Amino acid sequence: MMIEFELNGEKVKIESTLSMRLLDVIRNDFNLTGTKEGCSEGECGACIVFLDDQIVNSCMVPMSNVIGRRIETIEGFSKTERYQIIERAFIEEGAVQCGFCTPGMIMATESILRKGGPITDELIKEGLSGNICRCTGYQTIYNAVQAVLKEVQAHV
Amino acid sequence: MFESFRPNSLKDLLTLIDGRECYKFAGGTDLYIRKRQWQGAERKFDKDVAFIGHLDELRGIERDGYAFHIKACTTQNDVVNSSILPEYIRVPYRLMGNPAIRNTATVGGNIANAAQVADSLPILYATDALLLLKSILGSRIVRIQDFIVGKYRTNLAKNEIIEEVIVPDGNFNGYAYRKIGSRKASILSKLSIFIVYRKENQILEDVRVCIGAVNEIPIRSPEAEKIFLKNHDIEAFLLHLKKMFDAETDKRSTKFYREEVSIRLVRHFLEKILEDGE
Ligand SMILES: Cc1cc2nc3c(=O)[nH]c(=O)nc-3n(C[C@H](O)[C@H](O)[C@H](O)COP(=O)(O)OP(=O)(O)OC[C@H]3O[C@@H](n4cnc5c(N)ncnc54)[C@H](O)[C@@H]3O)c2cc1C
Ligand code: FES
Ligand code: FES
Repeated sequence: MMIEFELNGEKVKIESTLSMRLLDVIRNDFNLTGTKEGCSEGECGACIVFLDDQIVNSCMVPMSNVIGRRIETIEGFSKTERYQIIERAFIEEGAVQCGFCTPGMIMATESILRKGGPITDELIKEGLSGNICRCTGYQTIYNAVQAVLKEVQAHV
Repeated sequence: MFESFRPNSLKDLLTLIDGRECYKFAGGTDLYIRKRQWQGAERKFDKDVAFIGHLDELRGIERDGYAFHIKACTTQNDVVNSSILPEYIRVPYRLMGNPAIRNTATVGGNIANAAQVADSLPILYATDALLLLKSILGSRIVRIQDFIVGKYRTNLAKNEIIEEVIVPDGNFNGYAYRKIGSRKASILSKLSIFIVYRKENQILEDVRVCIGAVNEIPIRSPEAEKIFLKNHDIEAFLLHLKKMFDAETDKRSTKFYREEVSIRLVRHFLEKILEDGE
């Protein structure tokens, strides 16, 4: 069936099925391969995208729940100024090794920022709790997120 | 082969499932996991699928003079962020899954799935929650205790859905919650303790104690709670709960661990509740 939704700011139409995973549609039909498939069961966060401004694991979202809604992938987000800040912090803090988890980590970081309000260490840990990294041991990632926060808060 | 449907309204959904056995696919965080396939392939289901997650009629949280009403397809994060619900209802949901999962996983899905480790059940048992079930023939209200029959077993009829969860407002002014073990590490070792109470002028007027994930279904004894309110005898209360444990005996150490830890936690919490303000 024809499924319509908004992808990275553009209205799109795609021939798919209701039970097809959003992850497969993004990667295979739209060739947006920045969104990764790790565990396929909601545990690792490599497949995180924004659905109407909330993060979801795209391996767990059927196309039925995407109809008429707004999806933003790492490719869409990478065009923003905030992405540049996050990318720089991740590079400077050494938060990227193999890079497989990085797109998901960046999306999770952005979702912490979008919540607004004061951000504590606990909130950062909680915000990244659905993202698994097999390389860094997480400390450099936390450092990067702290650095992002400092920079973002300095701007307001 | 299976067919999938995306009804436009609750009424269409009820008409659809009246003649046809379907999975009711809400967030899919339980259903998808059981349907792994190769990357890129459509998920295959052994029954037809009715998608219900998009139905606005099944989302939202309200409060009236007696109870909190949570529609079945409300997500866990909607519960966590609700300004209507008291903290003791929100906290167990806040500790479920992870932030991205909580944006899709629904309240109704956790109940209908009826896993032994379903983390919403202890709070719902403790508060004597009710479920509003609906079919094309009409509605019925059942107590959560009567709905959950066993591990992954409920008495939902094929043509019914959970429309709403009703949590009576018990005017509680205190609670305690502890969840041990994580889904990732080990489902078996997990247990959770949920307690709500009302204390006025140093007097304990109501207390509810529920132990989750140890037995197939949550453990709670309203009779023992009534006696405890009168005599404040913690050990007698614990003895009563101990008699209710019936976890499998083939995993003795795990069983011993779970039972021992739950008893110690309940003892600890009850001591604190009695002490506070005395
Ligand atoms: C990474 C991860 C972590 C998780 N962590 C936890 C955790 O910490 N604690 C926990 O308890 N669970 C956890 N879960 C399990 C799951 O997220 C919850 O059980 C969730 O609430 C299920 O909701 P859903 O909407 O995704 O259900 P679905 O998968 O859509 O449905 C589950 C079942 O319920 C039925 N159903 C759904 N809605 C209705 C309805 N309105 N009426 C009738 N039947 C219905 C479906 O037919 C199906 O059988 C986790 C899952 C994942 C993937
Ligand atoms: S691939 Fe989706 S959470 Fe791991
Ligand atoms: S950098 Fe390799 S998984 Fe995180």
